[in-house]
Amino acid sequence: MSKFEDFAALHVAGDPVVLFNAWDAGSAAAVANSGAKAIATGSASVSLANGYGDGEEVPIELALANSARIVRAVDLPVTVDFEGGYAEDAGGLTANASRLAQTGAIGCNFEDQIVGTDRIYDVAEQTERIAALREGAGQNFFINARTDLFLKAKPEAHDSALADQAIERGKAYADAGANGYFIPGLADLSLVERIVKAAGCPVNAMHLPGGPSRAEWASAGIARVSHGPFPFMAMQKWLTAEAEAALA
Amino acid sequence: MANKFETFVALHLPGDPVILYNIWDVGSALAVVAAGARALATGSHPVADANGWPDGQQVPLDFAFANAKRIEDAVELPVTVDFEGAYSIDPEEGAANVARLKATGAVGCNFEDQVIGGEGLHPLALQVKRIAAIRRAVGDDFYLNARTDLLLKTQTHDDALIDRVVERGKAFADAGASGFFVPRLSEPGQIERVVREVPLPLNVIAFPGAPDKKVWADAGVARISHGPFPHRALMAKLTEMARAAIS
Repeated sequence: MSKFEDFAALHVAGDPVVLFNAWDAGSAAAVANSGAKAIATGSASVSLANGYGDGEEVPIELALANSARIVRAVDLPVTVDFEGGYAEDAGGLTANASRLAQTGAIGCNFEDQIVGTDRIYDVAEQTERIAALREGAGQNFFINARTDLFLKAKPEAHDSALADQAIERGKAYADAGANGYFIPGLADLSLVERIVKAAGCPVNAMHLPGGPSRAEWASAGIARVSHGPFPFMAMQKWLTAEAEAALA
Repeated sequence: MANKFETFVALHLPGDPVILYNIWDVGSALAVVAAGARALATGSHPVADANGWPDGQQVPLDFAFANAKRIEDAVELPVTVDFEGAYSIDPEEGAANVARLKATGAVGCNFEDQVIGGEGLHPLALQVKRIAAIRRAVGDDFYLNARTDLLLKTQTHDDALIDRVVERGKAFADAGASGFFVPRLSEPGQIERVVREVPLPLNVIAFPGAPDKKVWADAGVARISHGPFPHRALMAKLTEMARAAIS
């Protein structure tokens, strides 16, 4: 099986693959050493590690070179958090997705927020964007379409009306060619379960400190649990404590 | 008000060493700043490891410069860069590379005498030429931490070897080095001798199981760095956390 096929097969509803997000070749190798099945980057981690703000402030050349270095450093499938694909128009997205696939990454996250704003693309616009990404990335590439609905709304506003919107988007994204659907920010397991049943593709939840456990996500039908910026943030805190001890 | 270079020089106090907890990228730099560090130093091995290259000048020069600049732009503290062998055996070419490094905003660098990609050390006469060329290229306001790899090349750390360390340290000082770096020097008696005989602030490297830093301070050390160990420890911790998350 190819790395893409290996990776796609890891998405089992009710037995989620856990992605402990990395940010450079060294962290990817460290995560691979833990027995991980696949490597995922986190855009916030890559940004912070290199002194940029999140939201496509990491120059695309750095993002692509970093992806290639990570792919070279591990034998596992690598999926890259590609934010909004560094383009608004279809042509730009197709070109960028093609370049990302050429780094050896077998998948990416692709979000529906309009980067740099607090708005989300219309469903129709975003499905066109997903199709454009697919055209550049080819078929052997796991497009993990993310909706930012739950990140843009406060947790108390995560109600069934918002879940309905998420379901509409999930179905449309799957029809447009997405392989997976990512719903970061949502921790209400009953809403998660509704989305899982209706989305039409494997659903990815983001682990939150103090949030549901892997077993709880599994019981809601989640197929992939990623850790976003939290591994990097935990490492930063740990490094500061170690440095404090050395400096004392 | 002292500039970053002057601030950095003033931190090198024999008996009260500056502690450099080595970093490799902006994130690690900010984490060490948050710990209250007075200055930052990169380690070439962590930079290589973090980016998937072997150590020994396998990190492309342009990447090394860009990484250094990102770090220097992100922090207020003085930053010194582990520049291995300046990416050239040729004195003038190496000096030009160090000048480019200085232009990124680095206040200093480590510069080693081992033959990178080969065996042993450069002859002392050549190493002195290389250091002198660097000093001419960068001017006075750059902390050139001249390193000898003598102790890394042998397990026999006897008086005869320390004679050679002292010989190199004196020659490096005459050639314009600002500091003397002797990785793996650890034994307080040997440290005291080097401090006494070489007219440069002495830098040693802390390692897991090393003597307490007070022992080294009392022996006259002016700078303690940590080389690859912070990055290695962090990556081990990351593996442990990932294992817990996956299971």
